[in-house]
Amino acid sequence: MTIQIKIQPEPFDAGERQRQLLRSRTDTGAVVSFTGLVRDFNERPEVQALSLEHFPGMTETALRQIAEEARQRWALQAVTIIHRIGRLAPGDGIVLVQVASAHRRAAFEACDFIMDILKTRAPFWKKEHTSSGDYWVSERQSDHEDAGRWEYR
Amino acid sequence: MTLTHLNARGEAHMVDVADKAESRREARARGTVRMLPATLALLVEGGLPKGDVLATARIAGIQAAKRTHELIPLCHALALSKVTVEFEIDVDDSCVHVESSCRLNGRTGVEMEALTAVSVACLTLYDMCKAVDKGMTIDDVRLEAKSGGRSGDWRREVDARPAGMIASHAPAEGELNDGAEPAGRQTIANADGSPVGEDMSRAIDEPRGKAGGDCEGVITVRFLAELRERLGCETLTLPLGDLGTRDVAGVKRALAAADARFEVLDGKRVLVAHNQVMAGEGTAVNAADEIAFFPPVTGG
Repeated sequence: MTIQIKIQPEPFDAGERQRQLLRSRTDTGAVVSFTGLVRDFNERPEVQALSLEHFPGMTETALRQIAEEARQRWALQAVTIIHRIGRLAPGDGIVLVQVASAHRRAAFEACDFIMDILKTRAPFWKKEHTSSGDYWVSERQSDHEDAGRWEYR
Repeated sequence: MTLTHLNARGEAHMVDVADKAESRREARARGTVRMLPATLALLVEGGLPKGDVLATARIAGIQAAKRTHELIPLCHALALSKVTVEFEIDVDDSCVHVESSCRLNGRTGVEMEALTAVSVACLTLYDMCKAVDKGMTIDDVRLEAKSGGRSGDWRREVDARPAGMIASHAPAEGELNDGAEPAGRQTIANADGSPVGEDMSRAIDEPRGKAGGDCEGVITVRFLAELRERLGCETLTLPLGDLGTRDVAGVKRALAAADARFEVLDGKRVLVAHNQVMAGEGTAVNAADEIAFFPPVTGG
């Protein structure tokens, strides 16, 4: 299985990434592509921008391990995870997860799994810049409940 | 201890001071603008393109103190009876020390006014000199003393920052400060001019003398995201000899013993990685290891 992990400040192009994912293979029956975006409201309204910090060195390993876990659970052909860092504006893509498989069920579930585990295990932190000041985004209980669905460790 | 600007539901509100007794309130704050020796020389000679730097910065600081309530959301508008802004040229350390005092007879403290005066005076110094030196840093903005009011008098003890502090304040890779200075010149030093990093290892070394640390090696401790900002500390080194037990729990105890501020590391919502892999209290720690503490993750 091909695993592609990227942590980058630059924007990503989901269409282009998907073409790369599928290049030179004809055995793929399904691709699920998830893009997470910056919302202009969160814990406070009027989010003007978002700064994403990560833990260089650990982040890539953590994402790769999540992709590996997905591969052990489902029959996958390729996984791409791209996570942006730095300053992002509302509407910008933050994260891209693409999963290719022979059949749709595996692709849907693996993509869902990767996002759930990423939200609770990958060392990224968001700071939101709003009209009423900057603050670090706090964790959500619902994210832990979502991750708990997979009985992950 | 409670935060008076939060009500029972944790919402921000302005404190009602109508029933508080009037008393004489004073506060003194300081800050430091560090610059190249050549910049300081120009400042002293009056050779900078924007003219009299200190006179301008003084007026800016005084004006700012009077307008603090417009900047800080829950501050009251105060009729200050006195605001001073003074400068000390420090040629040895190539910096300008800024000090402000504020006073009034009233029902609220004037710490925020003194801190605002210092901050804006420092910013004005920067603005007046930036044409010749963009690498200047504004450091150590702090309250020195306050008097009056219900919470009484307070004075800074020598240095109230965490003892084990600070190898650098540089933003971690990936934390982009928009328009930030390139990470070229991170002049972080103590008041005596020694690099803070050295002071830090001294502070943690001293209680136990030289015995253990040197021959047994050290570990690196990192703090990330909100935890880094809360502790005012990005990385520090800890002699292995300081650890009671050679595990993550031992690291936490050694840090808390060096400075009470590190007690927050024992909180339930503090995560830890050992050599960049998620770890727990019992994870073993050896020489040259890296231990990173961070808040719950919020990516995706």
